[in-house]
Amino acid sequence: MFRFDKRRLRFAAAISAATLAVGMVGTADAQDKVTITFANWASAEGTTRSSIEKVIANFEAANPGIDVVSESISFSEIARQLVLRARSGNPPDVAQLAGNDTVLVGSTGSLEPLDGYISKELAANLKPGADAGLRNKDGALFAFPWNQSPAGFWYNKDIMQKAGLDPNKPPRTIEELNAALAAVKSSQPGVIPLGMDTTNRAFALSSNWPWMQAFGALPVGEGATGAESAEMKAYLTWMRASAQAGYIDPGRKIGEFRPLAAQGNVAFHWDQVLLKGVMQGANGMSNDDFYKTWGVTTLPTAGGKATTFEGGHQLVMFANSKHKEAAWKFIEYLATSPDAIANYTTSVNSSLPSIKTTGNAELDASLDTPVFKAFSEEIIPTLAPQPYGPEFAAAATAIMAGVQEAVTGSQPIDAIAASIQQQLPK
Amino acid sequence: MAAQAPAATQARARPRAGREPWLDWMVLPTLVVMAVVVGYPIVYTILLSVEDYNLLDFSPANFIGADNYTKLFSDPIFWQSLRNTAVYTFGSVGISALLGLALALLMENLGGARFRAIRALLLTPWAVPFVVVAFLFRYMYLQNGGVINALLLSSGLASAPVPWLNSASLALPAVMVANIWAMAPFFFLLLSAALSAIPNEVIESARVDRAGTWGMIWHIKLPFLRNPLLISSLLMVISNFNDFAKIWAMTQGGPGYSTSTLVVYVYRLAFENFEFGYASAIGVIWLMMLMVFAWFYMRALRMERR
Repeated sequence: MFRFDKRRLRFAAAISAATLAVGMVGTADAQDKVTITFANWASAEGTTRSSIEKVIANFEAANPGIDVVSESISFSEIARQLVLRARSGNPPDVAQLAGNDTVLVGSTGSLEPLDGYISKELAANLKPGADAGLRNKDGALFAFPWNQSPAGFWYNKDIMQKAGLDPNKPPRTIEELNAALAAVKSSQPGVIPLGMDTTNRAFALSSNWPWMQAFGALPVGEGATGAESAEMKAYLTWMRASAQAGYIDPGRKIGEFRPLAAQGNVAFHWDQVLLKGVMQGANGMSNDDFYKTWGVTTLPTAGGKATTFEGGHQLVMFANSKHKEAAWKFIEYLATSPDAIANYTTSVNSSLPSIKTTGNAELDASLDTPVFKAFSEEIIPTLAPQPYGPEFAAAATAIMAGVQEAVTGSQPIDAIAASIQQQLPK
Repeated sequence: MAAQAPAATQARARPRAGREPWLDWMVLPTLVVMAVVVGYPIVYTILLSVEDYNLLDFSPANFIGADNYTKLFSDPIFWQSLRNTAVYTFGSVGISALLGLALALLMENLGGARFRAIRALLLTPWAVPFVVVAFLFRYMYLQNGGVINALLLSSGLASAPVPWLNSASLALPAVMVANIWAMAPFFFLLLSAALSAIPNEVIESARVDRAGTWGMIWHIKLPFLRNPLLISSLLMVISNFNDFAKIWAMTQGGPGYSTSTLVVYVYRLAFENFEFGYASAIGVIWLMMLMVFAWFYMRALRMERR
């Protein structure tokens, strides 16, 4: 039989009261604290994980009332998952997006318009054109530009020199490029003369779009001349000739060329500004050595004009978010705080901030490097918007399948162009 | 004689069921679970297939009748994907079954620790996850830096790197090789077990009748292996019909549409273009084809029981 011992009873009562008190304090704390979720691929990739986690920790320290739960999703999966989550009513509060994916998710109408959150000072500090393509038909801003990362035409000066080319004169036309590729191929057979993405995905179309424009082709979008235009056929013919001559290595994603470029095995490479950070992360090259070895400029052209695409990242807030103020605070911190710009944007992500000045003179001065300068002064002015949206994704499958067929098959170019045209969204 | 056995079983089962009819209701939970996890998705897919349903469009879907099916019959990529699915499935299963059979016959009478180790080694590919198999072969097939091309070039068998996965004509056979490598051990395992189950008396009788090696294989062993071979092949046909991981990881259905199978095409339609209505219509056709194989499979199982 259990007996009540007064001393034990008092002790148990004291413990219970203490536990209750601690619990109540904890609950009160938890009630004050707001938790927001952040879906992103920065924490899914080895090169950026620790930096973004550090930035998130710094944000939480600066904002003790906000907890950020980072949800790692790979770059190629994020749009798919966000659309499905938005559709089923449980999207994150904030998400990282890029390129066509941003417009695709924006087209669902599930994103919070951000104009009302942006202060006048911030609006004035945004770089001109940083919000291009991020507004819907009504003019509402559905995504905030986190950073800018356009693509540039990178050239390895050492490889050019070994091929007997002038390392300070990168090719300006497709004709000059062909000659340079031939020189590299014959002098250094182990080197991939030109790195470009020929996979079948929306990003690959974004990446190839400026090449098409270099020939004057515009397969879809406003003012499109279709896939059967002479310009599009000229682009497809050049791609086939380049593959047959062994100048390009078909089937590789853009990211798969980066380690090879870091090893000095790619002569010319069409890639974003972040290439510098990725290559230095892989080979440990110093800034001075990097600038001696690599240069970056605009795309060579053939009848068309030199353009580039914006590969930068955007931040979106979902309309379902219950903590919109906290979510905006976090977006603003990631895009504009000197901490995030120094520790993530310009360092591991090797991209440019979307604001004119960071408010930190030292940080602003650190952006004055040959690569950032080339992008800011030479390449960014050639940014050309692409016809992003749901139809772009459908067109990407058709166009890139045609590009792959041209590069790897033997079907006549006319037939490939006709097949692409047939599959393009009407 | 064989036909009497099931009848006898039924005769024994009936009186018991008659005494306790509530036992029949015990299958109800299973039926409910099946209705939820199998029945509901099928019915919902059929409903989606007659709608213009795009996931990006949050407005209600429109009923469009058989339009998705009409579109499907004039869609060249659907037909190419169907053709690729047939070549990939039947080619891989056929060659794997033949390889598995040959290996099982070769290893049948080999005993001892050394051969047991070889047997275990032969089974290893079956234990490797499909995605790992895909990436393994993808890197071996690389045009620049792949081990296969390095061997071909260094041995002088090729003067230039072979674009295994980058050629519209070579990509499908190259993916099939990876699939066959992973699948042949399954047939080897199953047929080895079937071979060991052949009664010794039958083998002895054939030997007494002076049956040669080929005669023994053709007239004695193969008839015994017919049913296991048929059932395992049908299982593998169904499994390969749905194979996504290897193809996606190796080629994503490319170059062009040269390795695009039905599952890859449906994935692209549903999760890249978000066209759930059209993707569902293809899914319904796909389901019907698989049901035909399932019917053959059930018949084969019944034949084996007899």
